[in-house]
Amino acid sequence: MTPLATPPLTMTPFTILWITLPFAVGFSIYLLPQVDRILTLAVTLVSVAYASALVFQPEALTIDLLDSFGVSLLADKLSAWFILTNALVTAAIVLHGWDSPKTEFFYTQLIILHGSVNATFICADLISLYVALEMVGITTFLLISYPRTDKTLWVGLRYLFVSNVAMLFYLMGTVLVYRTHQSFAFEGLRGAPIEAPALILMALLVKGGIFVSGLWLPQTNVAADSAVSAMMSGAVEKAGVFPLLRIALTLEELEPVIQTFGMGTALLGVTYALVSTDAKRVLACSTLSQLGWLLVAPAVAGFYALAHGLAKATMFLTVGQLPQRDLAQLRQRPIPTALWIPLTVGSLSISGAPFLAGFGAKVLTLDALLPWQATVMNTAALGTAATYAKFIFLPHRPTLVMAGDNAPKKGFWLAIWLLLCSVIIASAGYRDAYTWANALKVLAFLGGGWLVYGLLRRHLTMPVPRAAEEFEPLIGGMSVMLVVLFWMVWSWSVA
Amino acid sequence: MEIGGSTILYACVYATILMGFFGIIFKEHLVMKIIAMDVMSTGVVALFVLVAARTGVRTPILTEGASSSYADPVPQAVILTAIVIGFSIQALMLVGVMKLARDNPTLEARIIEKGYEP
Repeated sequence: MTPLATPPLTMTPFTILWITLPFAVGFSIYLLPQVDRILTLAVTLVSVAYASALVFQPEALTIDLLDSFGVSLLADKLSAWFILTNALVTAAIVLHGWDSPKTEFFYTQLIILHGSVNATFICADLISLYVALEMVGITTFLLISYPRTDKTLWVGLRYLFVSNVAMLFYLMGTVLVYRTHQSFAFEGLRGAPIEAPALILMALLVKGGIFVSGLWLPQTNVAADSAVSAMMSGAVEKAGVFPLLRIALTLEELEPVIQTFGMGTALLGVTYALVSTDAKRVLACSTLSQLGWLLVAPAVAGFYALAHGLAKATMFLTVGQLPQRDLAQLRQRPIPTALWIPLTVGSLSISGAPFLAGFGAKVLTLDALLPWQATVMNTAALGTAATYAKFIFLPHRPTLVMAGDNAPKKGFWLAIWLLLCSVIIASAGYRDAYTWANALKVLAFLGGGWLVYGLLRRHLTMPVPRAAEEFEPLIGGMSVMLVVLFWMVWSWSVA
Repeated sequence: MEIGGSTILYACVYATILMGFFGIIFKEHLVMKIIAMDVMSTGVVALFVLVAARTGVRTPILTEGASSSYADPVPQAVILTAIVIGFSIQALMLVGVMKLARDNPTLEARIIEKGYEP
């Protein structure tokens, strides 16, 4: 074969240009407020182009900027999937807000958020990751509190608090790594004192919304504007999960720790989602569960992230258009079929129905697991199907048309079209999944889940105690998680 | 283990971080929580400075007959970024608290939490 030296040479400037573009555009939107939407959309197109270029890259791209203490980047196929998810979800949010009175401030924050989430997907040292994650925290806070009501302000403040305290612990972890190796590379976690991985993993679990540290997630997603919730569930929370995947793939001794958290999250989230009655809360708790699915099989998580991001963003945007969010009331009054279709396609994709992106993703993940892990995840899959039956079996009428202020605008339909077409096209992403055995397995999940839903529907409205989701338990929970992680890293990976 | 000056310094730094952390949990008032968070981040900054001073405390400037016992500039440079980020987050939070204070004059986190439960 001919030497493959040329592509990296052209990719390096393209990477640098692509990573700085969102910030440059974000700050210049204030100079050109008339074209804010077009500029934002253009940046997401560049991201799609970059992700496609990465997919065709024969080997991972590593870039060291400046010298040994500079910024190091690593872009591979795993990053490509996450970047693509982020780009498509951001594009859908821009289209969704096209004919709404959102100001240029919103688009500035949105595109800077897009850029900083992308940065977490390609950075390869602990300090660049820190900066990117803090940027994600700040811009997400600004987006959550954008409506400037007291409630969104409080929820945003809570989010910023939790995320910043977690990042302080993260910094303590990085300095311990530096003290051992005089470098901030991810590999430095190996050989560093056990406190370092424990601190860093804890912070990333909080940022990614994993297991009990992720319980800030439901309330935040419920209170935020539905476009912001779509962005958070679709892309932002993956910014915390991605470094965990990178660590699991780089240091195989930490992989079982991360997988265990993945399984715990998948079960916890799905239980919360099953008993919730608020449509947005069901979606938010299910995001918690789906993030766990990403962690159990780090090597194949990229495709799962794409499938989940697209479907979840569709559902959040659609739920934002429903007349009310209480599922018990929605069961009484039919909704327009035009809104029911995106809800159902999204639900089916996340439950893993064939010919949608979720099918390949689910099969890919389940195939990568050990038998006992697969048993746990099969239970979670059954729970997921039962959860989403809540949306699939909502009554609907084709004749109903929404009118007035509540009526979906043209931008909403464009966004839904973009997301749903991507869900269907992405189902071709893993064609080997289409065997009879896999199809039967997934259909059994669907049937079983719907049966569970049918039998237990009356009992699926338990009030869950919210104490664990309050502010102080969330912060205090970090210290408990630190102890647990310290023990796990100490006894599992070192022994 | 011999308890030298650096061990005591480390103990003080970790104590600062812990006190800040407990302040965030146990203080009722939102502004006090934010100040406690600042105490915690001051502790983390001090930890970086302490790690940097492990090999010496001199400024690393190239001169004739340079001394070898200079402080490591890398953690110090890195923590500058964190200081700036921490400062801006704190500013943002205080603005948020100012806006909240109009409708919640006592600013007690527990009561605000109860009021805005979705």
